[in-house]
Amino acid sequence: MAGGLAYFLPAAELAFESTGQVLSAPSSSPTDLLFSPTPSQSSQPTPPSGAFTVLLLGSDDDSKFHSEHVLTQSMILVRVVPSTKQVTMLSIPRDLYVHLSTGGYGKIMDAYSYGGPGAAVATVAQNFGVKINDYIWIGLLGLVKLIDAIGGVDVVTSHPVLDDYYPADVYGGWPYDYERVAVLAGPQHMSGIQAMQYVRSRHGDLQSDFGRSQRQQQVLTAIRLKAKQLSPEDLPTIAAALGKEMKTSISISEVAALLPLAGSFDDPSQIRQLFLLPPYTHGCGCPQTYVNPNWGLILPYVHQTFP
Amino acid sequence: MISRAALGIVMIVVMLVSGTVTFIFLGSRTSKIADVPEKPTAATPRAQALRIPGTLYLSQNGAIYSLTAGRFHALTPEAGWTQPSLYPDQSRLLVVRRYHNYSDLYTMSRFGVVQKRLTNNVAPPRSFDTGANHWVFYPRFGSDGRIYLSYDEPKAGYAVVFSIWSMSPTGNLTQGKLWTNADDYTGGDVEALPLRGNGFIYTKYSYGPNARLTGQLYHITTPWNRGRAGSGWGTALTTPGEDCRSAQLSPNGKQVAMICSYQTQLSYLVLASWNGHTLGPRVKVVRNQLVAQPTWAPDGSGIAYLAPSSGSGPFQLWFLPSAGYAPQPSPTPNYGPIVTPSPIQPTQPVQITTNNGFDATSPMAWAH
Repeated sequence: MAGGLAYFLPAAELAFESTGQVLSAPSSSPTDLLFSPTPSQSSQPTPPSGAFTVLLLGSDDDSKFHSEHVLTQSMILVRVVPSTKQVTMLSIPRDLYVHLSTGGYGKIMDAYSYGGPGAAVATVAQNFGVKINDYIWIGLLGLVKLIDAIGGVDVVTSHPVLDDYYPADVYGGWPYDYERVAVLAGPQHMSGIQAMQYVRSRHGDLQSDFGRSQRQQQVLTAIRLKAKQLSPEDLPTIAAALGKEMKTSISISEVAALLPLAGSFDDPSQIRQLFLLPPYTHGCGCPQTYVNPNWGLILPYVHQTFP
Repeated sequence: MISRAALGIVMIVVMLVSGTVTFIFLGSRTSKIADVPEKPTAATPRAQALRIPGTLYLSQNGAIYSLTAGRFHALTPEAGWTQPSLYPDQSRLLVVRRYHNYSDLYTMSRFGVVQKRLTNNVAPPRSFDTGANHWVFYPRFGSDGRIYLSYDEPKAGYAVVFSIWSMSPTGNLTQGKLWTNADDYTGGDVEALPLRGNGFIYTKYSYGPNARLTGQLYHITTPWNRGRAGSGWGTALTTPGEDCRSAQLSPNGKQVAMICSYQTQLSYLVLASWNGHTLGPRVKVVRNQLVAQPTWAPDGSGIAYLAPSSGSGPFQLWFLPSAGYAPQPSPTPNYGPIVTPSPIQPTQPVQITTNNGFDATSPMAWAH
């Protein structure tokens, strides 16, 4: 008993600090009433046997930012249907110009910085009209540590990623420094740092943030594949590695319950990847680099998969 | 009658022992997926189960290793060394050394003695522009005695892509010849495979019809002429949907081995016949592994490649014997009863290493 408690202590600490966090959505504006219930109303614990939707949030959380007011450069809505073993990932452009749940309009990545995960979840839920069961937020360093803690990931990188001005802000002393990145193409085993460079670089991509979203989904797929090899006894190591670099509304017991579920998804063709490229979105041509949504196309497209 | 103190001590001892045993037991049940791969020279069991012909050169964690007669030998320390290839007479190696912001090309003896640095890609002293550094990768000798490689010039601002260049082994890259016209913001052109007196095959990355970046094999015979429209690309050998890369020519020059991913997170070892101009029908010879860096045995006995042991993990060395892909000889006609030829029984790939993690972005070199 004592040995078991000591063994799972890091996971228990993470459970107290980072998991099972209650979603506190900001007060709704009158227009919010037009949309589906807020996540705080729908955050019933969902058994893994039923379909569920999780919002994945990723942030640059280096010293350039206040830890409580970071932007979510990566926002991916994931729908998991255990009965049919189908996974659908929808990448939301970080620059999408939307009504924020905290009030006013802005880029969708701003919501988290104004109101934390509750605001980010509420903004996505309200604009896309979807029900979100849980969220997982992870910082840059958290992604690196997570991937290292699971022994790296295998990714078929779709093309060489070259960036002469990649931000050297994670480990360096000066967060505004630059370094060069060259991720070569093809199947390879990536460490946390290499995977982060691959998913984060955007200067060498004509599609900029859209191209980056495709790479992020590739790495997510690789993490899911690696999760198949994990056992519940690995959780303390992973928890200790993540520290405060992860926050989630999923409880630690639910995380353990999800591991065997990840292992049951064998067919890569059952993973659908959705992107909001034109005509679903279009640039505004303005200095603020907004991406304007075409809701008339987006909502039917999204609702085919996300209720 | 046992005193309370003695009973307490016994209970504490039992708790300590059972607690420790439980802790150790739980620790032993971890998946071990984060274990660091062993160095090939320390790996157990050693790679003696299958003796491959000649000497194979490959890279792990910034060090070059040779595999000969079933034993690995470390040629270099772990210091950024990668992508070995052979001189035409196989007396020496061309090797890339990767630093933090740039990489350079070196010549090295087959025993790992560095002989000469052929490029100088570090930014000038006191330069604060990281873009003043350069990358060079995938060196290969051509039959014309020049080195064909991928180099990140020309570039401008954020548009950094690889192009294929050739250079003399006694000259430098500033006197090199630019062969291909890479598309901006794609990653560019890589992995030149020089052909005997007939240009080279290379992998071009570009946007396919579905607006996704994809790899395509091209054949080019003349350097890029900037004044001529359409120059600098050559002829496409594969389609964007096949998403192929890493072409390698068989010892008899009649087959090409390549990796095709079909724009998925899978990678297949694919073979196709080669007539000097076009590729024949594709045959997937390994379809259930994440295959990288196919390399033909110089005696035609098979193909070595890198792939994880199971579905996911560090890349190990594998060998596919030629019986696994070569057509079987047809039976000799005789006057006996008619015998239906039995279907070809593919030979399974043989896993040579089990607990190493080789660099899957580094082509291997195989000497006689």
